[in-house]
Amino acid sequence: MNRLVALMGAVMALTLGSGGASAELKGCRASRALLDLGNPLEIARTAVADERQLRVVAMGSSSTQGFGTTNPQFAYPFQLKLRLEAAMPGVAIHVFNKGIGGQDADEMTARMKSDVQPERAHLVVWQVGTNSAIRRVPTDQFAARLRAGIDIGKSLGANFVLMNLQYVPAVVALPDEEEYARVMGEVAREKGAGLFNRFDIMRAWYKDGMPYSQFVTSDGLHLNDFGQKCIGKLLSEAIIDTIAPKQLTGAPHTPH
Amino acid sequence: MAVLPVIASGRDIRLDLFRGLALWFIFIDHIPNNIVSWLTVRNYGFSDATEIFVFISGYTAVIAYARMMQREGWVRAAARIYRRVWQLYVAHILLFVAFSAQVAWVSIARDTPALIEEMELLGLGQNPYQAILEAALLKFRPVNLDVLPLYIVLLAFFPFVLPAVVRWPLAVIAVSLAVYAATCHYDWNLPAYPENKVWYFNPMAWQVVFYVGAACAMLGRQLAWLDRFRWPLSTLAVLYLLFSAFIALSWHYNPLEQLIPAWVARQIYPIDKTNIDILRFLHFLAIAWLVRLAVPPHAPFLRWRIFEPLRRCGEHSLQIFCLGIFLALSAQVVVAQNEDSIVSQLGMSIAGLLIMSAAAYGAAWYKRGPAIEDAA
Repeated sequence: MNRLVALMGAVMALTLGSGGASAELKGCRASRALLDLGNPLEIARTAVADERQLRVVAMGSSSTQGFGTTNPQFAYPFQLKLRLEAAMPGVAIHVFNKGIGGQDADEMTARMKSDVQPERAHLVVWQVGTNSAIRRVPTDQFAARLRAGIDIGKSLGANFVLMNLQYVPAVVALPDEEEYARVMGEVAREKGAGLFNRFDIMRAWYKDGMPYSQFVTSDGLHLNDFGQKCIGKLLSEAIIDTIAPKQLTGAPHTPH
Repeated sequence: MAVLPVIASGRDIRLDLFRGLALWFIFIDHIPNNIVSWLTVRNYGFSDATEIFVFISGYTAVIAYARMMQREGWVRAAARIYRRVWQLYVAHILLFVAFSAQVAWVSIARDTPALIEEMELLGLGQNPYQAILEAALLKFRPVNLDVLPLYIVLLAFFPFVLPAVVRWPLAVIAVSLAVYAATCHYDWNLPAYPENKVWYFNPMAWQVVFYVGAACAMLGRQLAWLDRFRWPLSTLAVLYLLFSAFIALSWHYNPLEQLIPAWVARQIYPIDKTNIDILRFLHFLAIAWLVRLAVPPHAPFLRWRIFEPLRRCGEHSLQIFCLGIFLALSAQVVVAQNEDSIVSQLGMSIAGLLIMSAAAYGAAWYKRGPAIEDAA
């Protein structure tokens, strides 16, 4: 048996040597309009330009925690860190994962201060809405909690990007999931926060013919490795486009 | 003293065969996006090989330890169960080390920072001392290392249920169902590492599969009582399997998915694995019922040579399980390296099953050797 394992190892070593570009994330896309966060994220932009660092808190529930992935590092927060680092060499990127599975807007607002303050975040990505929708929290109460949470984070000096619900069978089956997504867009505009429209981005995947099995785990609720990595990639692109790092890397920047 | 229930003697080779099959499925399903997965139960319904494995584990636990308890007493049986728990624990820790070492080796061999990051991603990088402590406590279980800790917890509790399951199997099923229902309702789970994580296979929920398996082993002939309802039960089982196959296939074909009415989707989703959703458990029970009818204990085909590798794997389930998890990682790396090519998926699946089978024959060969005192 040991010899067989060793043989297997040798076969692997040979195959590994051959290399080759990875074909993963095939079909991972979103239109430019869907990737518009709708907010300039001034604080984050300034932090990158002047301090050469960006401190991000990923606030959220199971999507943020990475439940359903084969490796928690496939969850979007770590993917965000990898991609921001690659896009902005020389900028220190910190992403603090504050995902706790099962929590809704109430519970996250309650810990907003204690989770954001010590990390001195420039940007809070707040993934929320799904658990509130599943628990049928009234939308006006949901909106009030969102506003309260954003106010707390803003008072600590952070920009916000709200990430809305995932487009998956368990969410689509809810009677009013679009209402929660709509409320999040409204609150984002009203409070000067960005909105990462995960719901419509994923709906576009589905409408383009991508089957759920490609991006959802068998429970019909959580994102799998592909879903998480792709959301991480698209969120990174949206943030990078917004804070325009291409002008900031390389040539010395001009203060604004 | 009351008359002791009769416990079936002799090996039920159906258990070996189907456990071997579950081990093969587990290996195949642990290779992501593996086309060979279409040969496993997973894509045709709610439940997968985990249910088969846990159910048979409960069933065989009774077969192995109930007679021992009747002949040699509870203390002796409990001691033997804990020796088995210890073996499982050792196997799990060894697998943990081998698995992590393989990840490390691959990262170094490929010399890509991203992969070294990924290894760190296994949680060992950020805080190795804490991670090792938590691994020893079964709270830190990287990727795919969730099943053995579940089995360890279930078996560690088993001595306290064994006397009851021998006398009152139906009562044990009732209590087990109650604990399961309470666990789902109150969202109980055991703590895991890193903080705020939970057990991916919640032992307090999954015990229901184990104890229904254990009770079935005790009920034995009494189960024949159910045969009076053979036709209605079988019809229900087939209808349910068809329904769940439709749902499972809809995850792969959007046109099918669009046929599912919203109210049905609202009822079934999410289909939780952590707390084994009732839909999953019913799916497994439907399969088990039909298999029980289709495959009597002494069906001649069970002994066909072509099934011998499966039986051998099932006989040495612990070793083969660990090997399968280890090899699934190797296969995953190779398949990813070959851009998910179908040839590499087929090749690695077949190679893995061959290695697992060879290892099972090797283990059988060892066992046939001159008897040695194994109470080290």
